[in-house]
Amino acid sequence: MRSGGGDSSQGQIQIEPRSSKQMAATQDVKGKGEGGDQNFDYMFKLLIIGNSSVGKTSFLFRYADDAFTSAFVSTVGIDFKVKTVYKNDKRIKLQIWDTAGQERYRTITTAYYRGAMGFILMYDITNEESFGAVQDWSTQIKTYSWDNAQVVLAGNKCDMEEERVVSVDNGRLLAEQLGFEFFETSAKDNINVKQTFERLVDLICDKMSESLDSDPAVPTGAPTAKLTDSAPPLQQSGCNC
Amino acid sequence: MGQTTSKPNSNLFQNSNFFSSYKRGFASSPSDDQNMSLRPSIFSTLRKPPVSKPNDFIPLFNDCISAASSRTQEYLLFKDPEDKFYPSPEVLTQVFLMTYISQSVSLNMTDAFNCTAMTPGQRILLGADWVWAVLEKPTKNPRIQIAVQVLHLPDREDAEENSIPPEAFSESVQIAQKESSNKTMYERMVDFCTSIGKDCYALFLFLGRKSDKENIYGVLSNNFEAAIGKCDKIDRAFIENFFKGSRYLHTPQGMMQAIVTKKEGDPLTLMIKFS
Repeated sequence: MRSGGGDSSQGQIQIEPRSSKQMAATQDVKGKGEGGDQNFDYMFKLLIIGNSSVGKTSFLFRYADDAFTSAFVSTVGIDFKVKTVYKNDKRIKLQIWDTAGQERYRTITTAYYRGAMGFILMYDITNEESFGAVQDWSTQIKTYSWDNAQVVLAGNKCDMEEERVVSVDNGRLLAEQLGFEFFETSAKDNINVKQTFERLVDLICDKMSESLDSDPAVPTGAPTAKLTDSAPPLQQSGCNC
Repeated sequence: MGQTTSKPNSNLFQNSNFFSSYKRGFASSPSDDQNMSLRPSIFSTLRKPPVSKPNDFIPLFNDCISAASSRTQEYLLFKDPEDKFYPSPEVLTQVFLMTYISQSVSLNMTDAFNCTAMTPGQRILLGADWVWAVLEKPTKNPRIQIAVQVLHLPDREDAEENSIPPEAFSESVQIAQKESSNKTMYERMVDFCTSIGKDCYALFLFLGRKSDKENIYGVLSNNFEAAIGKCDKIDRAFIENFFKGSRYLHTPQGMMQAIVTKKEGDPLTLMIKFS
């Protein structure tokens, strides 16, 4: 059993602002963050961004609740969900922020970029305009977030092959140019949803490890094993998370 | 009370809309006689016009508010004679919102003017209980928004503090509170509206006021942030103070009419009586 409660300033990975060129991660092995279930080892703040109606909210609902509805309800401002995953017997709490894609909410949504460790930048493979906006969204990330924030580009609605206007190759090419990982996804058919989040978490963990390796003052490393949704059966000893 | 309630252009507006919807109602009569029993009556057809003109939703909005206010008023002064049962004031918010939403769906107006209830997390982050929006066609993007925060009578709110609802303990709510801990709920909603611009209004909806516990009032503005510039703190007293400065109360329809006819970018502040 892990212990919870305690000092709210501990238990969450702290990343220095973009003025620092290095992602400096610190952690308390037993998560003692403030708010809700406090049993976690790491807290990752993730954002889903992209044009309106590309499927950001559906994507999050599929991942967090394994649910999908085709009814379109435009997100007002910002919302979030929390999901805990396990990696190498460590609990990683994902705070996943779902942003409104419409321009009128841009002031609110960009305020939440700060402190985000990872982004899922989403476009709709049936909507050329949403693909064309990827570059702008990428600039927004560079402008408002940390230097070391990790990004996965997701071409959503890949179940709608007949209406496709953005090829897989074009999506992949753009991701390479921007230095992002790439997936085509479908919240509706549950294609690559979990994989997208898992990859993003892996990237964040890798980045943390790099930072920790270069900073011997930080006592422990990042989780490196595969992610699961279920708790580990036994606490393994000697974990270097 | 010495307060007057205005109904600007109400007859003209209602009548023109009435006749246009009346004509449409007949013109679109289906030819098949199947499922006659399932068809709405001619009167309900008159009340459910397809909202085609940008401001056709206004009389329908008025109907929805009227229904929601009446239903809420039924419970506004409830007191258990045995003084044991204390329903949460949140119930009143829910009654109002449920009635409004049901009415707006049955009046088929949500394509032109919709209502989005906030999630528990959004209520804390944005300070709003729900957001109304005038939608653009065909994108359905919001053109004008009204973020609504419900205020209850102070004694009810005190009672609420003593009986914290279970959702207050949820993880989402606590994370949201942590994210915005340095602001009051009033300030959060004003900040939210200000960040969008002058086409987003903050409406503080009073389910009863100290001086009139059985009626529903509102203060609406797209300019509350001006108070911050003057170093005024946005709190309940500040908002209630608007009623002292004005003896003129708009109807819900008058409020909406003023909003949609306002010159873009202009400030607008209104006091409204909803019941």
